[in-house]
Amino acid sequence: MTQDGTLEHVFRHEYGGLVASLLARVGTQHVDAVEDAVQYSLMQALNFWPKTKPPENPSAWLYKVALRKLISTFRTTQRRNELLILQSELTADTNDEPIDIPLSKEMSDSMLRMLFAACHPDIPVESQLVFTLKSLCGFSVKEIALRLFISEENVYKRFSRARKNLKTQNNVLATLTHSEMKTRLPIVHAVVYVLFTEGYLSSHSEIAIRQDLCEEAIRLANFLSQSAIGNTPDTDALLALLYFNLSRMNARQDDSGALLLLEQQDRSLWSQTHMLTAMAYLQQSAQGEQISRYHVEANIAALHCMAPSFNDTPWQKIAESYVLLERISPSPLHCLNRAVALAQWQGPQAGLDVLQSMDLPTWLHRSYYWHAVQADLLYQNGDSEYARLSAEQALEAAPTENIKALLKIRFEKWQ
Amino acid sequence: MSNKTFMCILRSETGGCEQPTPSEMEVMYAQYQAWQDKFSDNILDMGNKLGDSGSVIRQDSVSDGPFIELKEVVGGYMTLTAANLDEAIVVIKASPMVSNAGVSVEIREISTP
Repeated sequence: MTQDGTLEHVFRHEYGGLVASLLARVGTQHVDAVEDAVQYSLMQALNFWPKTKPPENPSAWLYKVALRKLISTFRTTQRRNELLILQSELTADTNDEPIDIPLSKEMSDSMLRMLFAACHPDIPVESQLVFTLKSLCGFSVKEIALRLFISEENVYKRFSRARKNLKTQNNVLATLTHSEMKTRLPIVHAVVYVLFTEGYLSSHSEIAIRQDLCEEAIRLANFLSQSAIGNTPDTDALLALLYFNLSRMNARQDDSGALLLLEQQDRSLWSQTHMLTAMAYLQQSAQGEQISRYHVEANIAALHCMAPSFNDTPWQKIAESYVLLERISPSPLHCLNRAVALAQWQGPQAGLDVLQSMDLPTWLHRSYYWHAVQADLLYQNGDSEYARLSAEQALEAAPTENIKALLKIRFEKWQ
Repeated sequence: MSNKTFMCILRSETGGCEQPTPSEMEVMYAQYQAWQDKFSDNILDMGNKLGDSGSVIRQDSVSDGPFIELKEVVGGYMTLTAANLDEAIVVIKASPMVSNAGVSVEIREISTP
């Protein structure tokens, strides 16, 4: 249930909490039975709520129906041990006394434990992401395929992989220790980060779809920061980064849904509320000894957000931040970003020098980022012949029509 | 002119129907609410689902349901009020129920003497 009391997203949001809290009781090896029971309870809600009125506490209603279904499944499959686990509730239920409904706090705790369980070091990150989207955020295989630009078959494979692992981690939700969770925290952060990035950069034509993923990422990050285990400076920095990026969301597309360059964006559309939230998290994150990549990225996002205009952006500080980011988390993408910032600060040749010195991996050479940045810098440097070649390669490598259109605008400036 | 009462009988094809996902259910639920708000004057009783099992009783026999020999099974009922059959058809046509493949709704006036 959302804070304003509407039922928006109740199905999708409750799904993860219900699955997680039931699994916490009966063990992850019963993930099939639990998912079926939760699905059943949501279907019942869909059938009954329009007829009566939605119950005052939808979570409790759904939990009760799912629990009864699970009990009856265990009865028919003669799973005595699991039935015993649910026994207390079972007797309470037949006595028509109110059953022990987990509070929303407990539900989000269970969800978090699930998230940590899914972030097992043996599971590949892509599988963790798909599992999180499906089991905790309630997206379907089809929707995930659409959002991640992969085939449904691929989604299914990734999902099964995570699920298979989870089934073998016997009783993992009960036994996952504090220190294990602490070690997995960086993986959890990475999944939340990837989730947000997919929403933010996927550039799918439907705005709502992208925003959905970003909101899910923020929801999970909020759960994290409210938990004992996840309440760390890194989580705060991650939240700051997410909120800074979210604050610019509205200005990133024009009325037709086409993407806009940072230069073109109407900065008055940037959400002050989200920016203030982000600033608060950034302040909170400045504790402890360590600085994470999220600290640096949040700092860069903050510099962009605080700049009154594109031309008044503190490019030197941004370029320096990218140097730091590369040191903490080496990636050719960060290097590429540094080249852009450096070119704004010291002129295009400085940026081109960075590109020249880079050790270019194949995946980056195949992506449009590389060619687009190169084209941009070459144009700025007056080298339009080579620039045109790079521009063509960038357009060819662009994954979606939206990005293609954005690149065209970017290059037309120079022609 | 006083309104007439109509019984609406929902039938759906058995099997092969994929379960909706939570996010799809969210959409369906919103559609239901919008439809109910729009036609609140017409909807007398949202009715209920009918259970899967049952029996058919004839003069010489009692046979068990569900009636799998039929392609479509009666899944639920509801009652409407409308000036005439045409108006009732408009209400049902706008409902999210008939937007599902394999679902049909039969509308019959409940005649009173």
